[in-house]
Amino acid sequence: MNYGFVIDARKCIGCHACTVACKSENQVPLGVNRTWVKYVEKGTFPDSRRYFTVLRCNHCAEPPCVDICPVEALHRRDDGIVDFDSRRCIGCKACSQACPYGALYMDPETHTSAKCNYCAHRKEVGLKPACVAICPQQAIVAGDLDDPTSAIALLVAKEQTMVRKPEKGTSPKLYYINGDGASLDPLEVSEVNGYLWSEQSRGVGHFAGKHVVKPGKKMLPSSGIDGKPKARKVYDIPSKGVVWGWEVPAYVGSKAVASGLFLLMFVLQTLLMHPLSDSLQWAIWATSLLFLALTGGFLVKDLDRPERFSSVMLRPQFSSWLVKGGLTIAGFGAFLALWGVAKYLQLPLLETISLWCGSLFALLTATYTAFLFGSAKGRDFWQSPMLLLHMFLNSLLAGGSAMLVLGVLTASDPDLFETLRPALAGGFILHILVMLSELYGKHPSKYAERAAEVILHGSLKKQFWYGSFIAGNVLPLLLCIALPSPLMLAVAAIFGLCGVFYTEKVWIHAPQTVPLS
Amino acid sequence: MSYTHKPTVIETIAEKLHLIADLHAEGSGPVTKSAAVDGTQVNCPPPDQWDNWVEYDSKSWPERKSKAYMLIPTACFNCEAGCGLLAYVDKESMTMRKLVGNPYHPASRGRNCAKGPATLNQIEDTDRVLYPMKRSGKRGGGKWDRVSWDSVLDDIAGRMRKAIQEGRNNEISYHVGRPGHEGFMEWVLRAWNVDGHNSHTNVCSSGARFGYAIWEGLDRPSPDYTNAKFMLLVSAHLESGHYFNPHAQRIVEARMKGAKLAVLDPRLSNTASMSDYWMPSFPGSEPAILLAMAKVILDEGLYNRDYLENWVNWKEYLQQDYAGTPVTFENFIELLKKEYSSYTPEFAEKESGVKAPMIVEVARKIGEAGTQFATHVWRSASSGNLGGWAVSRTLHFLNVLTGSVGTPGGTSPSAWNKFHPDVHAKPKPQTFWNTLQLPDEYPLAHFEMSFLLPHFLKEGRGKLDVYFTRVFNPVWTYPDGFSWIEALEDESKIGLHAALTPTWSETAYFADYVLPMGHSAERHDIISYETHAGKWIAFRQPVLRVAHAKMGRPVEYTWQANVGEVWEEDEFWIELTWRIDPDGSLGIKQYCMSPYRPGEKITIEEYYRYIFERVPGLPETAAKEGISALEYMQKYGAFEVESNVYKVNERTLSEADLQGSTVQPETGLITKNGKSVGVQVNGGNRIGFPTPSRKQELYSRTMVDWKWPEYRLPVYIKSHVHQEIMNRSKGEFALVPTFRLPVLIHSRSGNAKWLAEIAHRNPVWINASDAKSLGFEDGDLIRVNTDIGFFINRAWVTEGIRPGVVACSHHIGRWRREQDPAANRWSTNRVEIKREGGGKWKMRVDEGIEAYESSDPDSSRIFWSDGGVHQNITFPVHPDPISGMHCWHQKVRIEKAHEGDRYGDVFVDTDRSHQIYKEWLAMTRPAPGPDALRRPLWMNRPFRPDEKTYYLK
Repeated sequence: MNYGFVIDARKCIGCHACTVACKSENQVPLGVNRTWVKYVEKGTFPDSRRYFTVLRCNHCAEPPCVDICPVEALHRRDDGIVDFDSRRCIGCKACSQACPYGALYMDPETHTSAKCNYCAHRKEVGLKPACVAICPQQAIVAGDLDDPTSAIALLVAKEQTMVRKPEKGTSPKLYYINGDGASLDPLEVSEVNGYLWSEQSRGVGHFAGKHVVKPGKKMLPSSGIDGKPKARKVYDIPSKGVVWGWEVPAYVGSKAVASGLFLLMFVLQTLLMHPLSDSLQWAIWATSLLFLALTGGFLVKDLDRPERFSSVMLRPQFSSWLVKGGLTIAGFGAFLALWGVAKYLQLPLLETISLWCGSLFALLTATYTAFLFGSAKGRDFWQSPMLLLHMFLNSLLAGGSAMLVLGVLTASDPDLFETLRPALAGGFILHILVMLSELYGKHPSKYAERAAEVILHGSLKKQFWYGSFIAGNVLPLLLCIALPSPLMLAVAAIFGLCGVFYTEKVWIHAPQTVPLS
Repeated sequence: MSYTHKPTVIETIAEKLHLIADLHAEGSGPVTKSAAVDGTQVNCPPPDQWDNWVEYDSKSWPERKSKAYMLIPTACFNCEAGCGLLAYVDKESMTMRKLVGNPYHPASRGRNCAKGPATLNQIEDTDRVLYPMKRSGKRGGGKWDRVSWDSVLDDIAGRMRKAIQEGRNNEISYHVGRPGHEGFMEWVLRAWNVDGHNSHTNVCSSGARFGYAIWEGLDRPSPDYTNAKFMLLVSAHLESGHYFNPHAQRIVEARMKGAKLAVLDPRLSNTASMSDYWMPSFPGSEPAILLAMAKVILDEGLYNRDYLENWVNWKEYLQQDYAGTPVTFENFIELLKKEYSSYTPEFAEKESGVKAPMIVEVARKIGEAGTQFATHVWRSASSGNLGGWAVSRTLHFLNVLTGSVGTPGGTSPSAWNKFHPDVHAKPKPQTFWNTLQLPDEYPLAHFEMSFLLPHFLKEGRGKLDVYFTRVFNPVWTYPDGFSWIEALEDESKIGLHAALTPTWSETAYFADYVLPMGHSAERHDIISYETHAGKWIAFRQPVLRVAHAKMGRPVEYTWQANVGEVWEEDEFWIELTWRIDPDGSLGIKQYCMSPYRPGEKITIEEYYRYIFERVPGLPETAAKEGISALEYMQKYGAFEVESNVYKVNERTLSEADLQGSTVQPETGLITKNGKSVGVQVNGGNRIGFPTPSRKQELYSRTMVDWKWPEYRLPVYIKSHVHQEIMNRSKGEFALVPTFRLPVLIHSRSGNAKWLAEIAHRNPVWINASDAKSLGFEDGDLIRVNTDIGFFINRAWVTEGIRPGVVACSHHIGRWRREQDPAANRWSTNRVEIKREGGGKWKMRVDEGIEAYESSDPDSSRIFWSDGGVHQNITFPVHPDPISGMHCWHQKVRIEKAHEGDRYGDVFVDTDRSHQIYKEWLAMTRPAPGPDALRRPLWMNRPFRPDEKTYYLK
């Protein structure tokens, strides 16, 4: 058994019957859709034509949403259906980032993730999906791809078909006959400020009710990515918006402080034999603990079902980097606490063990996010191999900056500043280089390229250039070099901390502005 | 192979310790069965399980919560097609859960468009009218009191009784928007002896109807797409129109078998976009193209000689127009070629903008397709233009030339594929002719001049004492809506206005009674339409009433089962009719008697039982299942009466038919009792067509007799929006305001959230080159000036429309005023309407679409604010002097919005609109015709009155 869909564009008349039948069958709220029909227009009069494309979950053979889901809310059944269980979902929205097709949405009623599930509840009683049953043209064919006699298998064997974004390696099982390239590739069409017969720019789903500024005139290019008129989107469902807001960069930032501080303490004390005063050590410990708690707080805050946060540990899906990350953070927290206890009770062996182990976990805590983001297959910009280095550097910069501030507060030895100053300066330089190479380097795909565009020249350019680049990196770098007084270093450190947050904010926001469908 | 989750050890322990909810418990609810065998899937549960079908709740899935339903068939009421629906009634809550397709419906075959399942929204509409409402305060004032059905019936019946007793039968009028209940109103209105049927037909299809009727006496096309090789549509049947879903299925079916599709439309409709040949013609130029094709077919000998020779009245043509010329087929063809010699493809290109080579290519394809050539026009160009009836006339000409009338793959007259029920009572035709509906100026109109009613009332041609509007919203849908408001507000012209409607509407705001009537799944009805080369009936049922009966709790009246006190027209009319004549002294009551229980009032079940028992083949089919005809229809909701209906004109007259008949030797016409009943063709006695010649009338003697000799043959008539009267540099355009969207219903989808979500604004389409030369950018605010006012909308700059033409979709721009009940809030703007002296009216949008709190959480999730712009209200009336069609297209002048103009603004001067009415009225050539007739006797007229009324004294 291997269920899938064929959408036959030779027959589809764009009537939206599937959309509405699905809404009715699955009681899908307004503003979000499990299946929908996109309209695209191409050509100039009288050779202009309109194309209709049914979009939905592809029931991938290798579903990235399942891999990333921390609680097995999304799962691939033995019969090939990718189903979901809203009772398990914690609302982390990682699946929305992992799916390269924009198939998932946050249900505004249950605050859990949802998508087409092949009407699994109907299949159970021997019924075809609601969209298949209603389609006036029988343009949607569902069935068992493994059964060579099934209608769907015959179509796939006989007709030329295409799938969306095959390069993602997800092996979609939704095949298009006569699929229109421009309709299947969201970057081939221009953004518009309204559609043929609808106006859908207020933002819905996760962002329902929140005010979103309507795009201005400038957002109305009639051109594709290469500047030539290609296709114009004339009907689509509302944008699903940016689902990871400030909480996620805040969590990455606070995690960087917590892990970076501890890591640097280990490096200074153990590797560089640079003793730190007791008061500084305690300050580092307390700050690290505080920021680790904040990290957890931000993580829970980001969940649309925060009361289910314990499911990450209690209903774990171990191959999810969210679960691995959770375990890492927990491990770090445990050794961090242990180190404090050992130090307080003056148990040097335990202190050393927990310092070493804690540092190892701190390192993992600092960097695992690169793997988490890497498993978000929908966001090509995060697929960069530099992301690991980026995360590591961020952590050191955050930790170093924080330590500088703590050093000033605990009136530490000037030696500390002399050690940290060049290190930090070097860190900023390296970080600038990494950022620039990620933005200006060759991008693996046009989706990643579009995200870089958004950062460099688009809606995030101010946040990036002023917030992250100048205030968050160049300015602290200059301060480090030019004004080596501890106070000025502390100022530089505070800028540096803001820089870490802004950089993460921009990095996390930008790819989410690139449409997936 | 269902999903059963295997928890990890951690999860199992955590669930056991109640740290987290236990998700691994057993499911709940009744036991399910499979709809299919051997693990496959089907579209619909088998009918033997419809009384107790168990399905899993989709929202709880994968938790297995099962629920038991009753599946009860009914028929959709959203467009006219009446596709089959199957309602799921939750046996526990006795509410409707969803509506899916009914696989036993011969036209829709289990499949539906978006509007079918959205019926649920209309039923659950948080703003719907649940009880009969009576106005308090002045008409249109917005104050309403809930009243009982009893008081409504007594009040209206009393008033009607008085009118009938006083011989004011013509002051009673039933004005219907969405028709239906086949045969029912003929019975009721005739029982009252009232010529009171008014319809929406002449804002809809009069143009097309007249063009078909003048050919063959039957006024609608019924293409057999399934078997066609070539299809030519002057319509958008892949997205809208009669009968969108059934037709679209068959058009695509034919295409998949290799048939080609050509579409005439100035706008890139979804249909045009799927065609092999898109011919974006200037509005009104279609006949020029079609006649150029006819010329190619004639010149290149692609015509069907047999058909022409036998089934066209060419001899009459020669005799009348070329007296003295030998009546031979060869002479006919030569003269016909001469007649159409000026319609060159180049001429057609000049008129239409469609390239001559494409016209020639399509003509040849049509010739190749021969008898497998299917065509369709219903509204579109034939409803838009002065002389639009020439579109259907010239389109049908191509069917006649190719002999594809009534053939497999060809186009039949509608009546061949439409079933007419036999009703229990047959009152005599009414003895009145109501000139408020069919005035003498329009003797050939198809049919009632309904959109002129406010002007007729204004002129003092009459008044209405009891005016029923049924699913009818002229204030919004019709042209010149402010004149309607003026008429409806005038209590000296309209004594009582009762709006029978499933939802609040712009017209209901100006009623005295608003009487809530059910949607498709809340009422009875019998439906039959010409969707394909068959003949079927479908049964609309109030599914909750049926469900209650199945559960052993039958109700007496449908309103007792429906939500609130929502009723249905059928029972309302029976009760009303009974009360008009309580003692039987008016002779009305006798027609309300049960055919099964003498002396007692007929029940709704008996009414339909009587009909179904007389449907050919139905009782026999039902008997095979051991059930009655009524039970069969209750169970399956539909029945195919006939299939593969072709060439009905060739059916042989029976001996009984021929008894006492005479044959005219020259024409072969068979007459009986002074009426033609058939025609001799090739020695056979054939039924033929219901025309004077019993043949296809290329030459129309009727047109000559009724003072239009210039139109005795199919010709091209220049439209009132012809390009030669447009000064493009002044921003003058032909506006196409009629096109419809695949998800909306005229003005009844405002209560369907799933549809409004998809479509809710109607910008003005303008070609990119026109926009450039006028300096407009996409989204700019523009003022569209009509002859009586203007509206302010936004420009939608597109490559999908012919330069020189602009278009704005129907359905959108709905409104309510501050004082009106908050209704249809998914789609209505809140507006302020001001009358500023005389006939000057202004409308301004105070508030667009806004989210609101209600029992439906979705109402707080409305994410759109643009409710579109009301355009129809700025149009003057344009009655075609022959067909009576309102010619929808407008000559407009487009300019940038003025300072102070706001999106959605409307201005109209009704004094000006009355003047324009008079200008168009002056174009008519009124009755009497020959023999002092009001109307040709052979021509169809709905609710045909007594023949005596046809003669002007």
